[in-house]
Amino acid sequence: MLKTRYLAPVALVGAVGIVGVLAFSPGAVTAGATPNAVSAPTTTLPQLTTTATTATPIGQPSVPSASGVLKYNAPSNQTGLFYVELPKAFEAPGQALFSANCSSCHGPEALGTTRAPNLQGLGAGTIDFWVSTGRMPLANSSIQATRKPPRFNRLQTLEIAAWVQSLTPGEGVPVPVVNTNQADLEAGNTLFTLNCAACHTITGAGDALTDGAYAPSLHLATTQQVVEAIRSGPGNMPHFSQGNITNTEARDIAAYVDGVIQHPSDRGGFGLGGIGPVGEGFVGLLLGVGVLMLVCFWIGDRT
Amino acid sequence: MSDESPHLEGPLPPAALDDAHLQPYARHPEGAQAVAAVAMIIGFIGFIGFGVAYWIGDNTQWEAITLGVGLLALGFGATAWGKYLMPQGPFVEERHAFHSTEAERDAMTAAITERGGMVVKRRKLLGGLFLLGSTAMGVVLLFPLIRSLGPKPGDTLFKTNWKKNSQLVTVDGRAVTANDLDVGGVLTVFPKGFEGSSPDQVILIRLAQLGPFDPPYPIAPPGHTAWGVQGYVAYSKMCTHLGCPVGLYQEQTQQLVCPCHQSIFNVNAGAVPEFGPAPRPLPQLPLTVDSAGFLRSQGGFNQAVGPGFWERP
Amino acid sequence: MIDSSLRWVDDRLGIAKGGRTFLDKIFPDHWSFMLGEIALYSFVVLLATGVFLSLYYIPSAHEVVYHGSYIPLRGQRVSEAYSSSVGLSFDVKSGLLMRQAHHWAADIFLGSIAVHMARVFFTGAFRKPREFNWIVGVTMLILGIVNGFLGYSLPDDLVSGTGIRIAYSIIESIPLVGSYLGYFLFGGNYPGNGVIIPRFYILHVLIVPLLILGLLAAHLGLLVKQKHTQFKGKGKTEHNVVGSPMFPTFIAKTTGFLFMVSAVIFLLGGLAQINPIWQFGQYEPYQISYAVQPDWYMGWLDGALRIMPSWEWVGWGHTIPLEVFLPAVIFPGIVFNIFIIWPFIETRHTKDLAYHNLLDRPRDRPKRTSAGAAMLTMLFMTFFASSTDVMANFFEIPLNWVLWFFRFAVVIAPIIAYVLTYKICNEMRAAEGVGKRKRALIVSRSSTGEYSTVESEPRPGDGVEELEAIPVPTYIDLVPPELATGEGVRRVMR
Repeated sequence: MLKTRYLAPVALVGAVGIVGVLAFSPGAVTAGATPNAVSAPTTTLPQLTTTATTATPIGQPSVPSASGVLKYNAPSNQTGLFYVELPKAFEAPGQALFSANCSSCHGPEALGTTRAPNLQGLGAGTIDFWVSTGRMPLANSSIQATRKPPRFNRLQTLEIAAWVQSLTPGEGVPVPVVNTNQADLEAGNTLFTLNCAACHTITGAGDALTDGAYAPSLHLATTQQVVEAIRSGPGNMPHFSQGNITNTEARDIAAYVDGVIQHPSDRGGFGLGGIGPVGEGFVGLLLGVGVLMLVCFWIGDRT
Repeated sequence: MSDESPHLEGPLPPAALDDAHLQPYARHPEGAQAVAAVAMIIGFIGFIGFGVAYWIGDNTQWEAITLGVGLLALGFGATAWGKYLMPQGPFVEERHAFHSTEAERDAMTAAITERGGMVVKRRKLLGGLFLLGSTAMGVVLLFPLIRSLGPKPGDTLFKTNWKKNSQLVTVDGRAVTANDLDVGGVLTVFPKGFEGSSPDQVILIRLAQLGPFDPPYPIAPPGHTAWGVQGYVAYSKMCTHLGCPVGLYQEQTQQLVCPCHQSIFNVNAGAVPEFGPAPRPLPQLPLTVDSAGFLRSQGGFNQAVGPGFWERP
Repeated sequence: MIDSSLRWVDDRLGIAKGGRTFLDKIFPDHWSFMLGEIALYSFVVLLATGVFLSLYYIPSAHEVVYHGSYIPLRGQRVSEAYSSSVGLSFDVKSGLLMRQAHHWAADIFLGSIAVHMARVFFTGAFRKPREFNWIVGVTMLILGIVNGFLGYSLPDDLVSGTGIRIAYSIIESIPLVGSYLGYFLFGGNYPGNGVIIPRFYILHVLIVPLLILGLLAAHLGLLVKQKHTQFKGKGKTEHNVVGSPMFPTFIAKTTGFLFMVSAVIFLLGGLAQINPIWQFGQYEPYQISYAVQPDWYMGWLDGALRIMPSWEWVGWGHTIPLEVFLPAVIFPGIVFNIFIIWPFIETRHTKDLAYHNLLDRPRDRPKRTSAGAAMLTMLFMTFFASSTDVMANFFEIPLNWVLWFFRFAVVIAPIIAYVLTYKICNEMRAAEGVGKRKRALIVSRSSTGEYSTVESEPRPGDGVEELEAIPVPTYIDLVPPELATGEGVRRVMR
């Protein structure tokens, strides 16, 4: 039954199928993600469905994991989000790290040069976002910095942030500490759809902006980075201040990103990249119709 | 193509059982049967599996695998039976001309033209009146089908619920003050009382941190500087191309991008389209701040919002 | 027993003669003739899964609070349409399998119509006497596309709701009557008074499927009456059909194929997620997601809308939004009209009024094949243009470049395709034995030094020896040959 006449069509459909599966697998389609990107600190996989009619809390507290900072107790206030002032002891090592790694572009006082912007007044949270996502130090000057494995560990990152903050005390976005234990996933869902989906897509896959910029995928962001980004508006992202998105709302959005965007209910099977009909059309036409055409090829004759 | 339809000249002699055409196609029919049989058994097991998967849980993947394997295997078995084990043929049948003979065609034409002509020519008045009545019926029966569906637009396409001093609120009804947004902030707002209303959706952007006594932030034409306030500017969120919400704000390049078809609007110049299919700028909403610090509209839009339509001047 | 039942029925309905003819009907065996069956059987699956879904889906825009088992939606005010669709996906046993199988079946239905239509086009099967059938087929394609759009808009989710907004604006763009039509259809200014969901529903489950079923009956009926076309070959003429009989061979193969088509659809339906509406959320007209494309069969229209320059005609107190009207109304109108009248375009050009029951090889009609290739290329360009943002993201090139590329490609690529296809057709016709394995040349040298060549024998697998086709036997002598007396044939009496 196996004749050589099947070789070409099966190889064609198979090759297209493999390319399609690789192209639309979760890692490949996320904007700006490089193959070696560090994954977010693992939380237990949240349960997205339940038969109970009362909402169950999900997720675990996201606190900075570097030693020294753990002195800050798990937050007990209602909003689940509060901002910390980094210890003064961080500033000296921070300055040393900054002058060794950052001052060549940002200047010794972080005032900026022709190559890089002024960092004064941006706040420790902003610095923490850029450095902890690995976007800084910049690998090569392109249109938009890409997320990559961070150069510094958590403690070093916070030290650098502390030093830059110390140049303009009280200004800019401080480092947030997010506890998603009491987060309202439904509120996060609504807020995310209204404020975030237009750029990052409703599944957080990210997409292209104008002139080579892009809204990155959210699949690797920690809850802390989500809040830092919301408040500091990196790059083309708008700045959402507390009058726009309150602390509770920011916490809910972070919980939604962590719990649902990063662990979607893919109840229907293989997720096909989460970009909707583009992936589906590819699979439906090339695998669905393609395989059936192969079956026709088997059943029928060539003459 | 012959005009005659050949008929069977009496029954054909019966075919012999060992006629080559009646033999199976497979070179090893027993082997082919075994393969088909195994396939059908797998099919049977698959269907039983689906039954089990259905009853013991609701795992979509297992339901699909069992049902799919069942159908695939049983189908494969049936197809293999047909292709490899049934009489291989080939068989032939004649195509007979299915069109009628000239005489039949003439008779048909005559039936219509002669009998019809005879009647209608004699009773032209009746024919004409019937036609008139039927046409009238056809036309007026369209009225309920089409007109009853919905209201006439009138001038409602030109009006929104933004009036003089309408208060800007978020979709949750929270009033927006002049201090709410940072520079680079963006918010979707509605007139108070009409939260969530599609034609009223407005995107509010803060371009600069300006106080009540600072000179206004310049917005180039076709925008209006006087319609901004304290660094805020507001545009209709409905894209002038096809009505999608223009929710994508690029803070660094100061552009609004419509996610549907990537029309790009310049926020600093009255949301004039710079690229993409949108034809007109997003209508600007004139803003003001009241004595309590809440943002309000100076009035409604000066044009219809959203995509173009015939009545739009 | 079969004999007596048949006689009983035939006394009342007279079906024996026609029935016999029907059972003897010959189906040619070429694999490309089965593409229409993929469409037919995926339609069967659509009907079956559709019935299931219609028992749970609630076609109402009325708002309810979601209380189902998907937590991130709990407590949200959503339409009943959305709530019941999410309910189907999470809280109805095998509901998600049926929903996804239904959606995959729709994609495959339209995909197989496209390849089937291409086969019919490129082999000239639409020529006399089959012009009616071609028109019926194109009409079913249009109705299928419409029904697909209506169907995936029913769950009222963020992605499909955006499509409905775009559809409203397209209707609105029609000169003179656009705003009226939009208000009538939706019950007011967008989003209307909520009546659009129930209207889409009744169109999707009743009106359009009835139209498709009627046309399908006509399509198959014409096929029975006019008989199938076939490729040229040994023993095949304009006046016969060679292949397998309906009963038992074709019925066995086609029933098996029905199961296999269903298998592929259900395997996709449970293993490959499609339209996960719970991830998208309820549609609100002031919310939007990025990377939103319609289903593939609407993609060519979305692409046309994206690449169209922003030409809007304004004058004398009126506006015609050409940037919408041209790509979304005129363009598909022209394309579908070309499809429908193509048999007549071709007859006009070739002046060929003969009956054609034998098919062309595409290479034998280079102009038709090239025109078809050019049209397909243009449709592919508009189709790919629908995913400009996804492509810019995936290949990491600026969005603006992608858009400009497609603006030129949609015009230039079909021209290139036409020229290339024409040349390839002519090359293939000129080359002897294209596609067949060449026979070796055995070179021998004579004693005087001359070289001579002789072609080798064909390889055993090549040149399949086919039997001469015979009519379907009326009776088969079921007595094995070794028991036959040799003086004649005994018929087995039952």
